[in-house]
Amino acid sequence: MTDGDWLPEAARKRMGRFDASGLRTSLLSVPGAVGIESVGLSAVGEVMGCIVQQVGWVGGATYGVGGAAAFNGGNYLGSVSYAPYVNALYHGYDTALARMFTEARAMGADGVVGVRLTVSRLGENNQEFVALGTAVRANSSVRPRKLFSTELAGQDVAKLMHAGWVPARIAIGIAVETQFLDYASRNQMSLMAGNVEVQAPTHLITRVRAQARERFAKHAKDVHADGAIVSNMTLRSWHQEANGAPLLCAESSVFGSTIARFHTGRKAPTSALKIMPLRPTK
Amino acid sequence: MTSAAESEEQRIPEDAMRRLAEMKPGQRTTLFTSDLSVNEFLLVREAGFRPLGLVLGSSIYHVGFQMGRWNKNQELDTLSNAMYHARELAMSRMEAEADVLGADGIVGVRLEIEFKEFGNDLAEFIAVGTAVKADEPGEWRNNQNKPFTSDLSGQDFWTLIQAGYAPQGMVMGTCVYHIAHQRFWQTIGNIGQNVEIPQFTEALYDARELAMSRMQAEAEALHSEGIVGVQLLSLAHRWGGHTTEFFAIGTAIRPLRADHTIAKPQLVLPLVDS
Repeated sequence: MTDGDWLPEAARKRMGRFDASGLRTSLLSVPGAVGIESVGLSAVGEVMGCIVQQVGWVGGATYGVGGAAAFNGGNYLGSVSYAPYVNALYHGYDTALARMFTEARAMGADGVVGVRLTVSRLGENNQEFVALGTAVRANSSVRPRKLFSTELAGQDVAKLMHAGWVPARIAIGIAVETQFLDYASRNQMSLMAGNVEVQAPTHLITRVRAQARERFAKHAKDVHADGAIVSNMTLRSWHQEANGAPLLCAESSVFGSTIARFHTGRKAPTSALKIMPLRPTK
Repeated sequence: MTSAAESEEQRIPEDAMRRLAEMKPGQRTTLFTSDLSVNEFLLVREAGFRPLGLVLGSSIYHVGFQMGRWNKNQELDTLSNAMYHARELAMSRMEAEADVLGADGIVGVRLEIEFKEFGNDLAEFIAVGTAVKADEPGEWRNNQNKPFTSDLSGQDFWTLIQAGYAPQGMVMGTCVYHIAHQRFWQTIGNIGQNVEIPQFTEALYDARELAMSRMQAEAEALHSEGIVGVQLLSLAHRWGGHTTEFFAIGTAIRPLRADHTIAKPQLVLPLVDS
């Protein structure tokens, strides 16, 4: 039931009706729709994938410490593993996307553009992951091996393809890292500390961001893309206690689209016209 | 429609889908990541640069306090130094990442301050940008052999290169200033009158001048011709009404050639909102 091929009855009925009526729907704006038409893509329909999952056991700190917390000469060492929580987030995003692709494949699409990925809370421990986008089909005799997908709007897809780049897949990097606060860091964070860099949180966020970026890049490498355009990068941090010791936690996520180059020259063949819009700037 | 345009329209989806069909394991690609928007990405490419990777530097800093004399206009130099040092740490860490990638420069840099949930007075100073390398080898690094940095958008960067200028580095100056409270008799004397409060004027004047002159000094050290895209910000942060940071930041530039003419742009009237 939790795989990407599963679709509810209503969705299968919609796919069936879609075949019979030939009605084409799209979530694209007018410039977006005109944009993709100009690069030989046409909208075939709006597609959606969603999953609600319970994120209960989020990591070591809730039901006892997962990693080792050693007490050594006044310093807390070690960290707490949040891997189950990160895996749950990945599972949520991946399944929502996979179900969206299942709908898109049923419509004979080659890719999905303008994908919006959202997470919302449903009650205390439940999270709903939704992927929503517009399925498109290329005016081409060749079909991609896998559906391409991108968060970029129709206009951006058009500009990229005119310049010889095609979106490949949405890439996601998520990481959670934790760090116990040792005596020195707590001192640096106190009111009377003066103006200094605080090492423990600086190391923590540097590590968590590096890991999220690494996973993002690996995601992109796995699909054999040439590049990745980051669309959103977030950092969330919080404080908690584990085994009576203060623990700093930070979650970092990186979202973006991977792109592949199909022009062969050294330089991008752009034919963009430089213009100066006659409207007041804010 | 002409046949050339028609074939173009056919060629783009055909080539794009073929490329997607060819994407399979075992193929070596050089992957870059970038923090640019699509417009910026394409214009940076057209300016003759290719992105190498997103680069980032960050520092969490405890910004404490410093006592100012209640009724005296004065710079709080400890705080000025702290605000500068924290930004410098973030910037230099970002530059170090770019250096590892062998970059010529960093474009689209965002230098931001965010106060954090885990502790009072803790602020994260973060610098994010996209490291780039020129297609043609050239002297792009600045006179301190560091990759150039620029907070200009991709669009502004393209226009700058077109006009025959190169960015050298972001230059900044900061001044945290304590503005004196008015004495009791002064306040009483001014009740109901429309008058200048000279000590406030002087304080704000003084603080801005200090910030700008520090920025200028950095540009002089780079032997720049000028500074573009300067922002002069007054940031109250969390110090209360009488203590303010004045922060000046811009991109120092040098000429690439003697003439600086750019093609006259085509004026258009867009048929879309906003």
